[in-house]
This record gives sequence, structure tokens and C-alpha cells, in this order.
Amino acid sequence: MKRDLIELAEATADIWSAVRPPNAAAIEMTRGLGPVITGFEALRGQLAFEDEPSSFEAALLATKE
Amino acid sequence: MNAPLKTSTALTDVTLVEAADMVARGETTSVALTAAAIEAFKSKDAKVNALIWMDEQNALETAEALDRMRKAGRITGPLHGVPLAHKDMYYQAGKPCTCGSAIRKDFRPAYTATVIDRLHGAGSITLGGLNMAEFAQNPSGHNRHFGHCHNPWSLDYCTGGSSSGSGAAVAARFIYGALGSDTGGSIRLPASICGVTGIKGTQTRVSRYGVMPLSFSADNVGPLARTARDCARILSVIAGADPMDPTAATEPVPDYESLLDGDVRGLRIGVPTNYFFDNVDPEVGAAFEAAMAVLQARGAEIVPVTIPHMDAVVAYGSIVSRCEGATIHAQWMRERPDDYAVHLNARLYGSYSIPAVYYVEALARRGAILKAVASDVFGACDVFATPTLRYKVPTLLETDIDAGTEGAIEKFNAISINTRPINYLGLPSVSVPCGFDSNGVPIGFQIQGRPFAEGRVLKVAEAYQRDTDWHARKPAV
Repeated sequence: MKRDLIELAEATADIWSAVRPPNAAAIEMTRGLGPVITGFEALRGQLAFEDEPSSFEAALLATKE
Repeated sequence: MNAPLKTSTALTDVTLVEAADMVARGETTSVALTAAAIEAFKSKDAKVNALIWMDEQNALETAEALDRMRKAGRITGPLHGVPLAHKDMYYQAGKPCTCGSAIRKDFRPAYTATVIDRLHGAGSITLGGLNMAEFAQNPSGHNRHFGHCHNPWSLDYCTGGSSSGSGAAVAARFIYGALGSDTGGSIRLPASICGVTGIKGTQTRVSRYGVMPLSFSADNVGPLARTARDCARILSVIAGADPMDPTAATEPVPDYESLLDGDVRGLRIGVPTNYFFDNVDPEVGAAFEAAMAVLQARGAEIVPVTIPHMDAVVAYGSIVSRCEGATIHAQWMRERPDDYAVHLNARLYGSYSIPAVYYVEALARRGAILKAVASDVFGACDVFATPTLRYKVPTLLETDIDAGTEGAIEKFNAISINTRPINYLGLPSVSVPCGFDSNGVPIGFQIQGRPFAEGRVLKVAEAYQRDTDWHARKPAV
């Protein structure tokens, strides 16, 4: 069974960044990360071992007009 | 100082290019243009709230100096004598730069942004700083600290954000053009919603030195103005390599204005069959179809295209700017979270729990996905077009998260669903007005091209504006 997203998010933000929920809207908007997680789950396995973040600027030039 | 020449409302009705050309020909003066803009803000901005600050004296003194130069036969550049005002996030040494925030309300930077230096070098005058979403982080135009910016076409409606004041001030004829910034649609959204033209260039096309950061990977500087030709003139001035910003592309910058010949015969305009029209509002869809028909009548070919990897573009594009923005704001979020508006600190907060591996994955796949889009889409068409907003423009109240409006978060997030993917792909994109909805609020469409094809997307936009007058209509402010 999956653990509660809000509980985990609060713990992560607090432990790693010392940031605490400023208001109820913050909790509500954090709940909105659920579909983001689902989106990433659907993409698992598509990242190639050799992919690296620095490739983007090169790709802009490689695909230019 | 000499008294300003007599001004008239008609003087604020001309476009940026017309204003610059009138000064160059001696048909008006920079002082007259500047005084007209000052008068427009003073007499009409109370309802719109597009302005945060204005430096009248400096603007008029600069205008006088530029007029003396012109009389002596010297024109400094293509914007000689034209007053502009910019989203209040562009650094000018010693001048206010609030970033639309309480946290930086007293900030006065010690240096000047490259783009501002370039605009001044081309002869423009900076009149003041325009309203914006707090730290450029909302798509609606709400601002708790300086007051919400109101749509000049219908004051209860959003202006779009985050360059809210830029869109509203240009639409209301307060100013000839304005810089905005675009990380998820923040130039194109207010351009579309306020009925003006706005372009974000290819990622890296314009220097960001001296520009308030939001997201290192997705921030873009660009103009909002009445016409595509106006935008082309400004973009030609500000684009290009900058020794102060090593991330700025070194690709040569064409004279974009010289490419605007109205000839789109044989040009293939792709219309996506996936994502961008899901549940599109019928009024928006009809305005878009009519716009395509205009371009088709000019000789363009409309072709269906499928944008590959849209699920990935949406998922990855949703977190890059969030994670980078949260990083930048971490210290203030620890020390003074209540100095942010609720909609902003609430959005920032969730980003501190997004795993770094997701963020790195989003960046690592960006290049490969761009290459796939370039191959699949730009193999089949020269540019592709979509509505800038998929839905009708909401009211300020409907999207007021701080006021606790039910359903506000969903409506707020929906504003940028057609623009944000373009930022992840890094493509140049121009938004052009193409009609009005049944609430009397403008509708726009956006045109995307290959990286560094700013000239091509502007050419299509300008060709469209030759046969339509949506961009020439004026709200009754």
C-alpha cells in the first residue's frame, strides 16, 4: 500500500530543506503532485543510460533552421 | 527643461514602428511621444493597474536629449525616441526593481540588464516598471502586493501572466512596447489575453544578464507590442550573444523586420492532432480555424501533425521550472514564507518534495525529445500553430487562490497548458490575436518554429496581420 503523499512531502521538505507548509493551500497544491508522479511512472524505462542534461543546447543547434 | 509639445490621444494609437519612423522623419518628437505615454498612464491606469513605478523626469530629459540629437542629424538606432516600459524585473542601476514582490519592494540593483542597455543603445527610453505576477510565478496576473492587473477589454477578467502589466499597458495604448519574460507562457499568455502580439525566442536566444531569475533552464526574455513588426524590431535589438551571459546563443541575429514580406505561399503550417485541442472551447476552436483559413487564403498549406512524446513533454515540463524556482526561493521560504502571496508560497512548497532524480531525468531527456519533435513535426511542416489558451479567459475572481475561490487551482493551472510544453521544447513561439470570445475578451493563437526560426514565425504572424485587424482594435479604457 502506498504511503500518504502529503505526509511524505511534508517530511521531505522539512528534513531536506527546512521548509514547512505555509498554509492549507500549500497542502492542496502538493496533492496536485499525484498526477505528476503518475506521469513519471508511465515514462519509466525511457531514459537512456547515456542521456545527459547538457545535451539540450547541442540539440537546439542540431535541429535549428 | 522645455515644456512638452502638445500631445494627443492619436499619438498613443500609433504602433511602435510607426512611432519610431515618425520621430526619424521629424513628424513628431520623442518628447511628444513620451509625454503622451505619461499622460495615458496618469489618466487611464487607475482601473487597469498596469504600472508599478514611473520616472517621468528621467524619461522626459532623455527624450529631450534624443530630440536634440535628431535635430543635429543623428539617429542612434531603430528605436530612437520611443518610450517603453518593462515588466518590473529588469535591472537598471539605481532604479527600482520590485519583481512584483514585497520581498524585493525596496531593491535597487547596482547594474543594468544587457537587454535594457541594448534597448537604450537603440534609442529607446525606459519610462518605468510594469505590474507582473509576484516573481513572475503565476499565469493569471494576480498580484497581492501591488494590486491585481485588470484586463483593459473587460476589467473583471484576468490579463494573463506573468507579464500582466506588459500585456495590459500595450493593449490599453499606454505604451508602444514592453519587455516581458516567458518561462511557461508568461509573454504569450498576456499577449493573447490582452489582444497584443508577443514572442519568446528560442531558449538561449536573448541574454538574461541582469534579469530576475525564475528558472535557469526555461527563462526567456522577449517583447510584447501591438504588431509582429513591432516585435521583430525589438527582438532584432535585444537578441544575440552576450559576454555577460555565457548561456546566450552565439548564433547570428538577422534583421527580423526585413524578413516580413507577407509571402507564405507554399508554407506548411502544422496543426496538431494530439494534446493541444483536447476539450478546446468551441469559441476558441472556431477563432483558430478562421485564423488558419486566413493563412490558407494567402497560400499556406495546412497539414495535420502529431507531436511525439507529449506525455513526456507535459510530465517533464511540469517540474523543471518548479524545482529551479523552489531552489532560488528556498531561503526566503524558510525565513519569511508569509511575505509571499498564498498562491505562490503554496506552489513553491510542494516543489521541495520532488525527487532530484525526476528533475535530472526531465533535463536529460529534453535534448532527445526535441530532436524527435524536430524530426517528426518539422519534417512534415515548417511551423505549427495552436490556440495560445485552450479555454476562454477566466475572471480574476474565478482564479483567485488567495481568496479561497472553489475550483480556482484547477482554472489557474489550466491557463498555461498549451504554452508550457513549448518552453520545455525550447522553441520560438509568437502569440497573435485572432478574435474575441463572447465575453469580449481576446483570443490568440501561437506559432512555433524550429530552434532559431524566429524570423519564420514572425513572418507568418505578420502575414496574418496584413489580412486581419484584431491587433489594431482598441479597448475602451
